[in-house]
Amino acid sequence: MNKIWFWLIACSMCILLYINPEIVLPSMLQASESTLKLCLKLCAIYSVWMGILQVMEDSGINKKLSKLLRPVTKKIFGPLDDKTNELVCMNISCNILGMGGAATPLGMKAMQRMDDGSGKANRAMIMLIIFASTSMQILPTTVIGLRITAGSSSASDIMLATIISAIFTTVVGIAIALIIEKLKKIKRRNK
Amino acid sequence: MSIYLLPVLILSIFVYAKIKKVNVYNSFIGGAKQSIGIVVGIFPYLVTIMIMVELIKISGLASLMAKFVSPIFNMLGIPTELCELVLLKPFSGNGSLAILNDIFARYGVDSYAGRCASVIVGSCDTVFYVTTLYCSQTQVKRLSYAVPVALIATLLGAIVSCLLCRVI
Repeated sequence: MNKIWFWLIACSMCILLYINPEIVLPSMLQASESTLKLCLKLCAIYSVWMGILQVMEDSGINKKLSKLLRPVTKKIFGPLDDKTNELVCMNISCNILGMGGAATPLGMKAMQRMDDGSGKANRAMIMLIIFASTSMQILPTTVIGLRITAGSSSASDIMLATIISAIFTTVVGIAIALIIEKLKKIKRRNK
Repeated sequence: MSIYLLPVLILSIFVYAKIKKVNVYNSFIGGAKQSIGIVVGIFPYLVTIMIMVELIKISGLASLMAKFVSPIFNMLGIPTELCELVLLKPFSGNGSLAILNDIFARYGVDSYAGRCASVIVGSCDTVFYVTTLYCSQTQVKRLSYAVPVALIATLLGAIVSCLLCRVI
């Protein structure tokens, strides 16, 4: 993250210094301002979703779901304590249902609980990041909405392809990560 | 069908909670209360990454890189029109939606490029955005292989999307 950020910023700045130096600072401020707007929007979205999620938690739906998905999460994430497992299961279900706004706060909480303070991401955290960033959605609502606005004659005919490729992306990501974990284990044993 | 999905889901959660004798009102407030803290926590991280996205966009670095990698992408089956989208997608959700609209306007919604772009945007999330958010509340500094693996998976996903659009 560190390296990528630095090099991309440095390269862009060099180009801009050459072609148009006066827009560097304004556009940085512009980006910051639009982020503030985005955060306000996120705050509104999170308030609604976290309210609903709290209701779910208090009524015990979380626990049921987490029990149901336990075998799957155990394979992928390794052993998790009950509360974390609950958060992870909810995060995954929200992602699949296309409630990205609800999935993010759950994921962040789960990450906090997985954090061991060593400054290095452990296996469960890495898996969660891969899962969330390649997340599959059953209904790609935003894209379909955009297609309708753009005047498509069959806006939703991309659905099947989207679902297949979404599942593919997630499965590949998790599979690669699992293979890396396996290799690491073998390496450790050889030492 | 899909417009009913979420409202019905939320209503049934509330009703179920009521049956379980949960104080829905208080419970909702308790959850909503945490949202401000989260947003305050993620703001600095988001600003940092958004500044980067803005700079690589206005400097033309993004389109330059797109030109640079397009021969490789072409070999993998990704058409040249979509290179910029595939490159920018991991960084910015809003940015890639803007490019998607641009592709619709330039090549047509129902063209091959238009459909491909829709599938690519719909099938995965923005890797860097998600990573930044998820790590913002932890002490993690080193991510080992998380980001590269996610990026490879997204790229492979894009290749498969282009293939699928040819078939379906």
